[in-house]
Amino acid sequence: MSIVKEVLKNLLSKPITIEYPRKKPTPVEKDFRGRHYADLKKCTGCTLCAIECPSNCITMEKLPENIKLKHNPRGLYPNINYMSCVFCYRCVTVCPVDAYITTNEYRLSSVKEVFSRELTLQTVRE
Amino acid sequence: MERATSLIKIPVTLEIPIGPQHPAIHEPILIKVYADGEEVVGVEIGTGYNHRGVEKLLENNTFYKDKFIVSRICGICNTVHENCFVRAVEYLAEIKPSPRAEYLRVLVMELERIHSHMLINAIMAEIIGFDTLFMYIMRDRELIMKAKEIVSGGRVLADFHMFGGVRRDIDEVKRDKLIEILKKVEPRLKYYRKLFENDPTISKRLTEIGVLKTRDVVSHGMVGPILRGSGVRSDTRAEDRYDAYDEIKFNVIVRSEGDSLARMLVRWDEALESLEMCKYILEHLPSGPAIVDERKLPRTFPAGESFTRVEAPRGELTYYIQHTGGSKPYRVKVRTPSFNNIINSGFSYLRHSIADVPVILVSYDPCISCMERAIVVNLRDGVEKKVTLKEIAMGKVKL
Repeated sequence: MSIVKEVLKNLLSKPITIEYPRKKPTPVEKDFRGRHYADLKKCTGCTLCAIECPSNCITMEKLPENIKLKHNPRGLYPNINYMSCVFCYRCVTVCPVDAYITTNEYRLSSVKEVFSRELTLQTVRE
Repeated sequence: MERATSLIKIPVTLEIPIGPQHPAIHEPILIKVYADGEEVVGVEIGTGYNHRGVEKLLENNTFYKDKFIVSRICGICNTVHENCFVRAVEYLAEIKPSPRAEYLRVLVMELERIHSHMLINAIMAEIIGFDTLFMYIMRDRELIMKAKEIVSGGRVLADFHMFGGVRRDIDEVKRDKLIEILKKVEPRLKYYRKLFENDPTISKRLTEIGVLKTRDVVSHGMVGPILRGSGVRSDTRAEDRYDAYDEIKFNVIVRSEGDSLARMLVRWDEALESLEMCKYILEHLPSGPAIVDERKLPRTFPAGESFTRVEAPRGELTYYIQHTGGSKPYRVKVRTPSFNNIINSGFSYLRHSIADVPVILVSYDPCISCMERAIVVNLRDGVEKKVTLKEIAMGKVKL
């Protein structure tokens, strides 16, 4: 490795590192396995995703009393704990009604536990 | 007054613990080195800092959950673990994946082999004090990680396999992107290979260090690039021809020197070979379905036994599944390459200097999370005794 050549090349080139999170986020693919949540317009509360989850991070919860859905007679919806989720997308592929909305959002670090509850309930409030 | 005519010197043997924090690689392993001056006279390898009980966990979960758990045994070689487990279950259930799925499986595994070999070569550069090279290799490794992200949706953990096929497919746009990345990586790999062969900084630290003779390698049951670096032609991909390896041409890289440099060069050559295989796959990808509908797969599998092996970046990896019917396996036995390579390699450190110990360890490409096993102690009387594997196999040990 010639030092002079490498020094000159590196002085003239842009830095390869990204100043995350001060500047723009790291570029990821559109179909990167990121944050996912259930769409209540489709979810039937069948609990299959919670049964199949390898990291047991999905709990089925009762819908709030003001939300009544015809296609969801048991009134259950999946709540994902993103802190223990391994993002394998088994829930997405096993869902019989394709109710999961997938995104490529990977910035989920937090000091508190993060759940999908709010995002899921928003899908019927819109 | 009489003058002394002789002087008696007593050699002091030092006990130096290397590890368990960052012995060379960033994983916990204790290498207790006994040194006479600078010369290593004895080595004890202590493991057990990273035991997670994965084999027991596999027995308590269904096959579908196990598929995701096995890929978490090791982060670097997660797809080979997945592939081995998935093929073992496919043999049980007599499912055959489509040709396109087989090609895609090989693509992901070969991408993984490239980035694994780049990683260990980068760490080797760091260990011998060549930090610039470490940065360079890690920068270019990022391209391969991107390629893996394009194919599987995850930078490190692919979660790509499924019983009877794969979970994602690639289209024309992704294919072009991958070819573009591989074109960028190829000159860099060739450059690093040349550098490892010619650079005096590297060759001074690696040549003639940790020499393993062919006889020693075979008698100690070592696998992978270590075996091939010592002149033994053994590669599971070439022997078993599983998945699409029967249709993809590749050379088995063998070097006869047997020292640390030979092992690193075997890895660079293999990475280049894998790159060619990836190109071939992308150009000759068969058409047809690849993705398997996970909702239609069977819930239970027929009873039976199956044994599979794959060539992981570190060597031969085997899975043995015993199944008595139902949705959970009765027993899953994992034999990882690092288990053989590290625990049996104590003899190779002898008569080298202390500074060479990390170099030799890194040249074996250790994966500590793969190789942890448990010792059973009788708690009633607190007696701990050493037993041989043969005695356990013969059923002579009563717990």
